[in-house]
Amino acid sequence: MRFNLVLDLPDVPGQLLEVLEPMGRLGANIVAVIHQRDVKTERGTVPVQITIEGDKETLDMVMDALEAKDIQIMAVDGVLRKEQITTILVGDIVEEDVKETVTLLNQLEGVKVADLDLKMSDDPKNSATKMVMEADFGHKKKILKSIKEVGDQKGFLVINEV
Amino acid sequence: MIMNSRKVQILEINGDPMKIIILGFGAVGQGVARVLSVKKDYLKKKYGLNPSIVAVGDRSGAAINPDGLDEELLLKTKEKTGKISSFPEYGIPGVESINILDEVEYDCLVEVTPTDIHDGEPARSHMIKAMEDGKDVVTSNKGPLALSFQELATTAQSNSVEFKFEASVGGAMPIINFAHETLAGCSIESIFGILNGTTNYILSRMANEGSSYEQTLSEAQELGIAETDPYQDVEGIDAACKIVILANSVLNLPATLKDVEVEGISRITTESIALAKKEGMLIKLIGEASPDTLEVSPRLVRQGSPLAVEGTLNLATLKTDLADEVTVVGKGAGSVETASAILSDIISVWKVRK
Repeated sequence: MRFNLVLDLPDVPGQLLEVLEPMGRLGANIVAVIHQRDVKTERGTVPVQITIEGDKETLDMVMDALEAKDIQIMAVDGVLRKEQITTILVGDIVEEDVKETVTLLNQLEGVKVADLDLKMSDDPKNSATKMVMEADFGHKKKILKSIKEVGDQKGFLVINEV
Repeated sequence: MIMNSRKVQILEINGDPMKIIILGFGAVGQGVARVLSVKKDYLKKKYGLNPSIVAVGDRSGAAINPDGLDEELLLKTKEKTGKISSFPEYGIPGVESINILDEVEYDCLVEVTPTDIHDGEPARSHMIKAMEDGKDVVTSNKGPLALSFQELATTAQSNSVEFKFEASVGGAMPIINFAHETLAGCSIESIFGILNGTTNYILSRMANEGSSYEQTLSEAQELGIAETDPYQDVEGIDAACKIVILANSVLNLPATLKDVEVEGISRITTESIALAKKEGMLIKLIGEASPDTLEVSPRLVRQGSPLAVEGTLNLATLKTDLADEVTVVGKGAGSVETASAILSDIISVWKVRK
């Protein structure tokens, strides 16, 4: 059987090799690799499409190995596994708060903070933080609610996606 | 014989007038008088509708004439003196607005008095009385609808009268009748929308100019887009009222204002808008109504998506079971624009009654 994967890799040397290694080691056949470093996501990561072939057990082992390496699998056979959630927090976010907020968000099930952008203001109350999270597909609504709770808890204005 | 058939013909063309009382003669009330005047021939030709304003009430009193008041003279009187009670010959100073409903025979009340979001009065009492007297009611008045929707709807039903309020949400933007009639057959699962023009204007300007909230608000006030007391708009109360009306009328959820979670735009900063833009997004004040959420809050919207409308425009996206998502856009305020929605309700009432 075949799996069509869409992976999301950081744009640093050696990433593709990292992905291909478990496939070779576990004995999956690579049918196609589409890797264009010029085409990037908004966050500067590189989407890579890989088609692999093998029996079910082998392919499952490959998937486990990729996950163990923390490689972002965005879609399998056209079915989204992960989705991005963007949130902006407004409020006095000093260094400690950023760390704690990220930790709180990472503790939510199926959520990982993938990107963070900070814009400080003369008035610290007006500072804003943008967070991009990768989340398991299909849990958006629940996750948005949890983000809001975390924000309320810390006194931030939470601006979630629609 | 010839004489007789001519008479019948003339009667058919003119029809029985639909006698209308307008309570409240501010921007919307005057808009109604204006469109009824401008569209006179059109209404007669197209619908056989011959509307006749038999009374108008404002703070100063009333103008009442069972044979109909001239629309242009009503507008001129209001413009010149600020008081409808100074209407030549038929002006009555000091009459209580609710008593006007007993002074003259009428078919339909157009309730457009200033809205009150604490007790919905005096509009609520006006409408209840008209319904109990067996009269149809058309309104743009959000306050009483957001506070006592179920009471009003039940009273209308038990008295078998028409109760229409298209103009209460989104001004000229068709939404309530659109959901009920045009999308008939579809179940509507949820509604998302930009339901307040003032806040959309402020957020659009902040995004385009990079200006601060305070600065943009005072600019909007100078332009007359924001009110001197902008509280209800910027804190999301106005949008919340509309969410309640949509929840009740479109989603059949018996909600009131206190069920809505509300966050306005006064805490939105230039920094947060800049960060959103960097990600290809805009911040908009979004109202959401669904069986598990009633909320008004600033949200992130992708640039170029249907929700990314600019200026004072209003917008709503209805999520349906059969038609998927349907989006409507239109002018959310303005005298004649809002009156257009009231006129469409008057025509609907007429179609039922004629």
